[in-house]
Formats: sequence, structure tokens, C-alpha cells
Amino acid sequence: MKVKFSVLPLLALAMMVLPITQQAQAKEEASAPTITLDKPSLDNGGEITVSGQAPAGSQVYVEVYSVEKQVRANRFDSKKDPKTGKVPYMFYLTHEMPAAYKIFIPKEMAPELDKAKADGSSWKYSEVLKKTGANAAYNAPAKIKIDRYQATIMASILGSRGNLLDAMNEKDSKRESMKLVKGRFRKVDNLLAATVETTADGAYTAKMKLRKGLAPGKYNVTVTAVTERIQEGDKETVKKVKSEVASFENNVSFPTVYLSTAGTSINLLWPFLLTLVIAIFGVLMGAGGGFILNPILVSIFPALPHTIVAGTVMPTVLFAQGSGIYNYSKIKFINWKLGIGIGCAMLLGGFIGPKLTELITLDQFKFAFGWILLVLSGLMYWQTTPGYLEKNKKEQAILKEFKKRAEECAKRGEEGTKSCPTEQK
Amino acid sequence: MKVDFWGHEFEVNMVVGCIGGFLIAIMSSMFGFGGGPFMVPLMTVALGLPMYIVVGSSLLAIFFNTAMGTMRHMQFGNFDLLLFLAMFPAALLGGYLGPQIAKRLSPLVVKRVACVGLILLGLKLLGLY
Repeated sequence: MKVKFSVLPLLALAMMVLPITQQAQAKEEASAPTITLDKPSLDNGGEITVSGQAPAGSQVYVEVYSVEKQVRANRFDSKKDPKTGKVPYMFYLTHEMPAAYKIFIPKEMAPELDKAKADGSSWKYSEVLKKTGANAAYNAPAKIKIDRYQATIMASILGSRGNLLDAMNEKDSKRESMKLVKGRFRKVDNLLAATVETTADGAYTAKMKLRKGLAPGKYNVTVTAVTERIQEGDKETVKKVKSEVASFENNVSFPTVYLSTAGTSINLLWPFLLTLVIAIFGVLMGAGGGFILNPILVSIFPALPHTIVAGTVMPTVLFAQGSGIYNYSKIKFINWKLGIGIGCAMLLGGFIGPKLTELITLDQFKFAFGWILLVLSGLMYWQTTPGYLEKNKKEQAILKEFKKRAEECAKRGEEGTKSCPTEQK
Repeated sequence: MKVDFWGHEFEVNMVVGCIGGFLIAIMSSMFGFGGGPFMVPLMTVALGLPMYIVVGSSLLAIFFNTAMGTMRHMQFGNFDLLLFLAMFPAALLGGYLGPQIAKRLSPLVVKRVACVGLILLGLKLLGLY
């Protein structure tokens, strides 16, 4: 009802202006906006300006997305449904998310974005799209194929994603795609920017800033001009015209490379140096580097999904462990029965764990990791207390003695005697 | 379970060991780290084993977890080859340089510094500062 009142004066104004410009307007409304980009390519992000002519008085939205590069996005819905009181335990997965996506909206709508930013990580993409009217321009991710799995506790324990359900209808799929987009790009600034300026006659320009580290390759740009919004109760009818597709290239050159599973470009030098420093530090403090490497990677490269970080750091320590085992086994410093016994239990745990990584969000990942690190620092502190040091000193002495004996045995090649056991049982 | 090591015999409570190992394995494969710093205290404190039997055997147990976790992460598409190729040589190099630097530093000081660093990093992840 409110809307009707605010529309009325506008309508009256339009009625007065209409007879004069009726012919011209009718012609303009039918024509799609023109679109020109000021340059054909970018070098790992930068600024590119799009300009053209839209129908006079229309709201102009610019949608930009990566065409060639697509990434995986997933979301686990474990929030209680306020209507039914049931927890859905639904796992949504797509492999067709554009690796980069952004909508530029009219400049006047900047306050809406500021409001969303003030909400922190709990901002709602779909609501902002609706409030700013940008859902009229939301096209590229709307039709991605989304798989839906019904997860159960049992399935998660067995390490499966659950039962694949039938595809969603178009409307649900679009709504879910917005949630996936938000989960993937997270921040307001990554998804929306209010930079489109329009003049009274409908000429528009928009400075589009693309951050560093986005996917390389072809990007498509489309302009949507909303000429009229008619509100009838809850239903809104939007009259819009779309421009043709313009495109540009985003170039990325070595040592910056595109990580296809992570969907971001990254300068490889940084992870290399970071890993080097942390690996050395890890040796010094006697704990694997993964503890520090993982949280630092997700903190300083927010574009790297935590699933990729966890899944990629893990194999890097595999070889170090393998060589460690080989070295210990040479001097018979491994009790196979004990190691394999507990190893079997750990094998089971290792089967389940990676499944759980994709069920949690980045924020939950950081939260849990924060606690793990606090516990670890407690353990670390305990290792520096006098009581522990005293005990450790004795054991280190025994360890040294055993090592010496073992090395001597290996040298002499003498086995089977009491001081040189062949095998531990 | 009885375990024999260099002529010494130890009684190990495998139920505690396996449950503890299982939980640590879930956590470490979920978050993508090794698990050594948790396994060693588990085996020394909860199982009451001396350090010299724990160092090698815990590594073997963890290896099972890491190998399985790696496979599963790959299966779920969490593995990025290029990122791996950037980190792997660095990890090897670090593993080679680390022990040489370790000789010149007091482990006590290193551990205390690490302790402070871990608390700061932990608090940052919890969003407390």
C-alpha cells in the first residue's frame, strides 16, 4: 500500500511529461542500451570503464563475470527451519560457479551497501540484491547446475555426501545460487559496488575495479537497464532492457598463476616463502608446520577456500613423514605393532575428516582452528615446565644411548643378539 | 596389549590409544595438519609410554592418517596441484634447513616463542583482536 502512494506523484509527473516526449520515449524504451569498454584487457585486475547509452531515466546495472573459469562452491545447510522446526541437513554443490562475479549498481545506492557491510559476515546477498534492485541484473549464476544431497549422520560417518536428490525448480535453484555466490565470494565489496553514474538523458559510465587475484581469461559484461518497476502487493514486475555482451580479457603472468580448483590467481612465490619459513619453524618447535601454515594461508589469502588449503597442505607433509619413518626404521626405532595398531584407528579418522571440511564454513574453520591453536600452545608451554624438562632430559639420554647402539648395530650388520634385536614384537 | 621395545616390555592400553588416535585423526585430517603435537602427548601421558618409543611409532601411526586424508581430500576435489607444487619444495627445503638451525638455538626459547605466537594466531582466528 505504501508503495502505491509513493508511486502516485511520480505517475502524475510522468503523465504531464509524457505527451511531450511520448514518441521519443517509446522509441528509446524499445532500444537496448549500448555498451563500450575503454580497453580490451586488464593485467591481473585493475580498472576498466564501461559506458554507453541507456533509456533515459532508467536504473543501470552492470554484471561482470568470468566466462571460461568456473569453480566449485558448496554449502551445508544445517540451520533450523523457523517454520517447520526441522534441521534440513542439506548439502548443496555446484561446479559451475563463475570464478569471478560482480554487479555494479547505481551510485546512489551506496548507502544500502554500507548497511550490508555493517552487518559483518552475516549480511544477506539476496536481500541486498532485492533492495538495490540488482536482482534484475543477476543472470550468470542464476542458472548454474546445483546438486542437492540429503546428508545424514550415518552417511557423513561413512564419508559419503548422502543421497542425491532431484534437481530444484528454477526459482529455488536461483535462490540457492545466491547463497552459494555469497558463500563463495563472502564480502559485500567482492560482489557489489555502487559506481554506475547516469545522466538525465540516460548516458551511463561505470568504473569497474577488479581486484588482484581473480581468474584470468575472458570476462563478459552485460548492462541491464531497468526502465520501470511496477509493484502490485508482494509481486514486483520489472521492465528491463539488456545490452549485448561485451568482453575483455584478464591477463595473468608467471609467477602469478591461476589455481583452477581454488578459483583464484596467486603469486606462487608467496606460498613458497611462507611454507619455507614455517617448515623451518616447525622443525625448531618440534611440531608439523601444518598447524601454522593452514591458518596463515586462509588468513592472508582470503580468496583461497579452506577446503583447498586443508587438502593441499596435507599431502606436503606426507613425504616428510615417509622419509622420517624410513630413517627411524633403519635404526629399528619403530614399534610396528604399536604404530600400526593406533594407525588403523587413525586410518578410520582420516577417512571421515576430509568429508567434514566441506561441511563447515570458513568462519567455523577459523573458529575451530583458533581453539586448536590455543590448546596446542598450552601443550607447548607444558613442554617448557621444569617437571617436564627434567623427565625429558632423562629420556633424551636414554634415547641417545639407544640411537647409538642402533647405529652401531647397523654398522656391524650384527643382528639377532640381545643388544641388537631384529624385530620388536 | 604388550609391547616390546629394545628388550623393555610395556603394557599399552590400546582402547585409549585407538579412541584418542581416532579423534585426533578426524580433527587433523579435517583441518589438514599432521597431528604429531597431539599424538605425542597422547602416547606419553595417556598411555604412559616413554618418549623414545613414541617418536618413531607415533610418526608411523600419523602416516596412516595423512595418507588416507590425502586420498580423501583428492577424492573430494580439495587438492590443487599448482599450489602443492609451490609448497612441496619449500617444505622439503625447510625440513633440510630446519635441523641445522635447530642446533644453534635453545629449544626452550624456541618453544616459548612458539607458544606466544600460537596464542596470538589462535586469538586472531577467534576474532578477538
